Amino acid sequence: MTLRDLIVISTGNLWRMKLRTLLTTSGVLIAIAAFVSMLSFGAGNQEQINNEFNKLGLFSTMQVYPKNKENISDTTTAAKLDQRALERLAAVPGVNIVYPYDAFSVTARLGDSVLSAKAQALPIAAVQTKLFSNLSAGGAFDSNNSHEAIISTDFVKKAGFTSPDSIIGKRLVLSVRVSVIDSGLAHILVDRGETVLDRIRRIHLDSLVNKEYRSKVLRGEVNETIRRFLNGFINAQSVVNDTLRVCGVRGPDRVGRMRIESIIIPASTAARFSSSGFGGNPSEIFSAMSSGTLFERTNDASGKTYSQVTIDFDPKVIYKSIRDSVEAMGFRTFSFAAEFEQIQRAFLYIDLALGVIGLIALLTASLGIVNTMVMSITERRREIGVLKSLGADELDIRWLFLVESGVIGILGTVAGILFGWTITRIVSAIAQAYMKNQGIPPVDVFALPAWLILIALSVGVGVSVVAGFYPAARAARVDAVEALRND
Amino acid sequence: MSSETFLSSIELCRYYHRGPQTVRALDGVTITVARGEFLSIVGSSGSGKTTLLNLLAGLDTPTAGVVELGGVPLTSMSRRQLSAYRAHKVGMIFQSFNLISHYTALQNVETALYFNGTAPNERRRLSTQILEQLGLADRMTHRPADLSGGEQQRVAVARAIVKSPEILFADEPTGNLDFENAEAIVNLLMKLNRDGLTIVLVTHNLEMAQHYTQRTIRMQYGRVIQSGSTKTAEQPLP
Repeated sequence: MTLRDLIVISTGNLWRMKLRTLLTTSGVLIAIAAFVSMLSFGAGNQEQINNEFNKLGLFSTMQVYPKNKENISDTTTAAKLDQRALERLAAVPGVNIVYPYDAFSVTARLGDSVLSAKAQALPIAAVQTKLFSNLSAGGAFDSNNSHEAIISTDFVKKAGFTSPDSIIGKRLVLSVRVSVIDSGLAHILVDRGETVLDRIRRIHLDSLVNKEYRSKVLRGEVNETIRRFLNGFINAQSVVNDTLRVCGVRGPDRVGRMRIESIIIPASTAARFSSSGFGGNPSEIFSAMSSGTLFERTNDASGKTYSQVTIDFDPKVIYKSIRDSVEAMGFRTFSFAAEFEQIQRAFLYIDLALGVIGLIALLTASLGIVNTMVMSITERRREIGVLKSLGADELDIRWLFLVESGVIGILGTVAGILFGWTITRIVSAIAQAYMKNQGIPPVDVFALPAWLILIALSVGVGVSVVAGFYPAARAARVDAVEALRND
Repeated sequence: MSSETFLSSIELCRYYHRGPQTVRALDGVTITVARGEFLSIVGSSGSGKTTLLNLLAGLDTPTAGVVELGGVPLTSMSRRQLSAYRAHKVGMIFQSFNLISHYTALQNVETALYFNGTAPNERRRLSTQILEQLGLADRMTHRPADLSGGEQQRVAVARAIVKSPEILFADEPTGNLDFENAEAIVNLLMKLNRDGLTIVLVTHNLEMAQHYTQRTIRMQYGRVIQSGSTKTAEQPLP
């Protein structure tokens, strides 16, 4: 008996019992539809996240941070994220570019709005990575020293604009308050009308022979000099202005754990602000002091340290090799690829839970198959006897019933996949309409990937065939003599 | 008819257990069937004729004794070999026709060719041919319920002989037919025998056995009580 014969006979028998076949198949159909629609939800969400990560190039992006001291008594010096570190990171095999998080406070005027914001300096190579290249409107900078800026959609809204396209080409005036060393030095010489000579005159020169008096005068004058310097440095700030052209508008300010500021400007353009003075952050002054550049304010960033550095690497390179190299340099890392592995694991558990629910439904449906097949055996005892008298062996009879349950499984599974898919389309349409209504960008949270179809087919047909094992064995054991006996 | 022994049974027993009782359906039956012979087995109901037929056809397993096919005992065959024996060498017809009710006449005949390796196209050709030979050309697409008793039995005969078996077992083939149809079936069996087919006919109709078959075995209570030419079988039962 060939497979074709078995299929022809089985489908013929099922067709003869239309209602029973329909009801049994419906059980499988509903179970598979539930199985498919539930797993489709998990797959859809996973696909959304995957697409979003891919679109932003997050799988090939890694954040690097200086290592925190594990405890207070730890006296080891943590590796600094300075220019040298950036060069070492750039030399790691597979790394495309390395750029620091370098931001400063600005007052920005766009149209009639004046807003406080942060501007982030980025080299043009960084702006061309996937992370920044998905712009809502406009394009990237022309060069590292062009007078252009990319602003975020949030900033566009705050400035009172509705359409990102309408903002392209508009003037953006950035004002930065800087503290300059000259002002500090000037205050040492003259502060509140009192010159340094006035102070010298107040010193009793003849008393300087007294050790205690001399020490008191020295401490007092050093303190006064520092106070005067800081007073001049911090309070007598000057304002540096630059007018830029808005060349692009990008998405939200935060991508995962990575902060991207509202205004992005070319690295060399940003350096013009920093070379004019200090941005008011005291750590900046100490950093300049320790690097010996306090009085040499230039574009040179050799003494600068950063709180965060971003690495963009070749997507073909396994992120773990880069992570290991970076961590071996004494830094902490955060990669979206690693985070995605966690997300995938979470989705796997969700898929398993949903799959188990679907399987329970399918097992219930399989009882329907067992019932149908057992009834069929009772009704077809004589037919089994005839087939045996004609030369069918037990295996032929077993196969006949297994194929019948398999055909029920295939019909139910295929119809179930189609039905499940239809359900997901309807629910998705409703969900998208709701999202749109709520002002959320509509996304399709259901997906029917090929692997899901294959799993549904395997599970549906597999469970149906397994359900046919007992009836098939029972049919094969039917005694031909008993079955053919005249009643 | 040749004198070559085609099938034989030696001290064949078949017992059934009904609670504490043992029913001896067949009790030490020894017979031979020669190739090309038309043998009849007669006896009253419960004499063991059908049991003997089932054992000879390899459908049932004896409690004791052996059935030999060309010197090879059927009991030594595996289930698969026994199925192959039925699929290739044995044709069977029954009193109640045993046609598959939801199949057409043609499908019923084709079913016999599923198990002997006949190709699908050949199955259709052979089945059509045999039904035409038996005068059922216009009944091929009819289901058993739409056929008369005689037609149903002719379909059953067609199903039994379509695979060109070496032996045909007919269990009361005329039991459910009127005289005219019964005669037609027996004439058909005689024709098949003349063409070389070995036939074992089980009947309770002694007259028919005497009239049409070459040798008759008479059975009673599971034993052979008389065996010989149709003339010797004419003697009254003890």
